[in-house]
Amino acid sequence: MSAVELNDVVKRYGALEVVHSVNLNVATGEFIVLVGPSGCGKSTTLRMIAGLEEISDGTISIGGRVVNRMAPKDRDVAMVFQNYALYPHLNVAENIAFGLRVRREKNEVVEAAVNEAATILDLTPYLKRKPADLSGGQRQRVAMGRAIVRKPKVFLFDEPLSNLDAKLRTQMRAEIKRLHKRMGVTSIYVTHDQVEAMTLADRIVVMNAGRVEQVGSPMELFLNPANAFVASFLGSPPMNLLRATVTSLNGEPAARIDGVHTDAIELKLPVSFVASLEADQRILVGVRPEHFSIGPEAGAQGQPIAATVDLVEPLGSEALLHSRIAGQPIVAKLETPADVRKLSEIGELKIPTDRLHVFDAASGKAVSGHA
Amino acid sequence: MASFNLYSRGDRIFGYANAALIGLFVISTLYPFIYLLAVSISSGAAVTSGQVVLFPKDLTLAAYEFVLSDRLFWIAYGNTFIYTFGGTAISLAIMIPGAYALSRPRLRGRKFLNLMVAFTLWFNAGMIPFFLNMRDLGLLDSRFGLIIGFACNAFNVILLRNFFEGVPKSFEEAAKMDGASEFQLLWKVFIPLSKPAIITVGLFCIVSRWNSYFWAMVLLRGEEKIPLQLYLKRIIVDLTANDEFASSLLTNRYSFETVTAAIMIASIIPVLLIYPSIQKYFNKGITLGGVKE
Ligand SMILES: Nc1ncnc2c1ncn2[C@@H]1O[C@H](COP(=O)(O)OP(=O)(O)OP(=O)(O)O)[C@@H](O)[C@H]1O
Ligand SMILES: [Mg+2]
Repeated sequence: MSAVELNDVVKRYGALEVVHSVNLNVATGEFIVLVGPSGCGKSTTLRMIAGLEEISDGTISIGGRVVNRMAPKDRDVAMVFQNYALYPHLNVAENIAFGLRVRREKNEVVEAAVNEAATILDLTPYLKRKPADLSGGQRQRVAMGRAIVRKPKVFLFDEPLSNLDAKLRTQMRAEIKRLHKRMGVTSIYVTHDQVEAMTLADRIVVMNAGRVEQVGSPMELFLNPANAFVASFLGSPPMNLLRATVTSLNGEPAARIDGVHTDAIELKLPVSFVASLEADQRILVGVRPEHFSIGPEAGAQGQPIAATVDLVEPLGSEALLHSRIAGQPIVAKLETPADVRKLSEIGELKIPTDRLHVFDAASGKAVSGHA
Repeated sequence: MASFNLYSRGDRIFGYANAALIGLFVISTLYPFIYLLAVSISSGAAVTSGQVVLFPKDLTLAAYEFVLSDRLFWIAYGNTFIYTFGGTAISLAIMIPGAYALSRPRLRGRKFLNLMVAFTLWFNAGMIPFFLNMRDLGLLDSRFGLIIGFACNAFNVILLRNFFEGVPKSFEEAAKMDGASEFQLLWKVFIPLSKPAIITVGLFCIVSRWNSYFWAMVLLRGEEKIPLQLYLKRIIVDLTANDEFASSLLTNRYSFETVTAAIMIASIIPVLLIYPSIQKYFNKGITLGGVKE
């Protein structure tokens, strides 16, 4: 059993509270990704689990035992650091073996374990090299080798891929996923890269300013963000949020999109939202960039909205339209037509009414409406 | 063909001037050594009559024969080895853990302790209180007293402490996650990573022990315990007043000057042997590649 449980965990530096009452249950074998903007307390939370940071309040338990006052080495967790932290005076084999050596394991045991880890991570040809003579990706793998060789209850990763270039990052991401499938060890992974979060996680924990905003599977979070922060954090490009006011609740609910230097625009809202909205409520209307469409073929579900296009970024099969609706900037993602130039002449975009998200402007909370 | 020069005229002049200055410096440090060597293998008569300036005259090993056949020379030589290497080992064994502790933020009263260590750099009680202290501790005329009395040097402790403080925190954290105990952390991580600093400090200890003279003279009584430098001083002071030695000069080819030169050369040789083998450790780049910033 290697479940990890955080109950009302708080971290304070002096009077400054940086992590506020975090609750989280990680099941045995689960891959959890903590994601959030810089400075939101991801590393701090992870380091409290590791035992590198004292827990100011609340409890953390691993495998059913409260570890608040337990030294890192007694928690049976391994950590992969962002900067790798390989011992420069030891070669690859000795680096990987370090955790076993300090625990005074028998020589044969250590060697077998190192060789196994090296095979899994394709490090066998480099065992005698010093870290300085390795590429970034190889160092990264050594850091992982050092973690897996001990067969810990829990793996902790703090942005392990952020020092790699884009291609290597994709490759290592797949490797981490493969490793997790193979070993099935409970893993907690910190990143601020939402693609990593989406691809690796069984469940994602979105954090913001020291709080957990939402926990759920990647698709849950993507399809039903609990608040405007989560909505705008996941997805690339992120969801567009248009400031608006609820105007009509009779039969056809509608909102008026605030005009910025121009007139406001009326927008129909899904009927299912009627019960949860109030007249004159300030809201944010969320539209995913890829839900916009043009032309008649998009058909019935789209309501046309006047839009002016500022800039077109062709990405190949798709193009990003940086545009404005009622003067508010939005990004739409469309299939690239044969003639890209046509996109810049568009005067209206179609918004699918039933795929709109609505958030209360004051609290940021999603207005329930989707069944 | 167009040739172009990477260095401007000014750069080249600067280079030549540098080379000339360094050359001058090399000559001025090397000359006394060459001179001593020449004197030690020349005859006493040639030296006394001022014929030896750079090259030896009237080659002879008489001075070395005289020195090497003196029982006290060997005792002193052995003592110097004990003081130097025993002293350095004990110094490092005391200063490394001390400096490590002082470098850890979790040490209680760390600021105060560090201040007290630095304090001794600027103020100390002076010679006589120190002597009295050694006397009261029963450490006069004892090899151990001479070693332990000077084992800890505040400057070296601060140097080591600063180096330990500069070791990236993530090494410590990684080792802790790996399960290293405090002692293993020091022994397997901090000491190997601080090799350049430790070797530098070790060398400081070796050189100062090898050359130490004053406190040995103050604290030691018996001939059996004196180091080489004190032996040299005895030769210089005693031989001049020694009739037997004066009369032996008539029949032998050594002189007062060649004997002292031979002792000095003999005392320099071990240092000369150690230095090149240590020099390769003075590479600061050791932590490169371990962490990526
Ligand atoms: N020793 C400290 N003293 C005071 N504040 C600290 C300390 N360490 C971290 N903080 C603060 O705690 C907050 C959370 O930091 P943390 O390192 O957990 O962020 P993060 O989510 O990992 O960010 P990043 O993505 O940039 O790594 C930050 O606002 C940071 O300034
Ligand atoms: Mg961080």
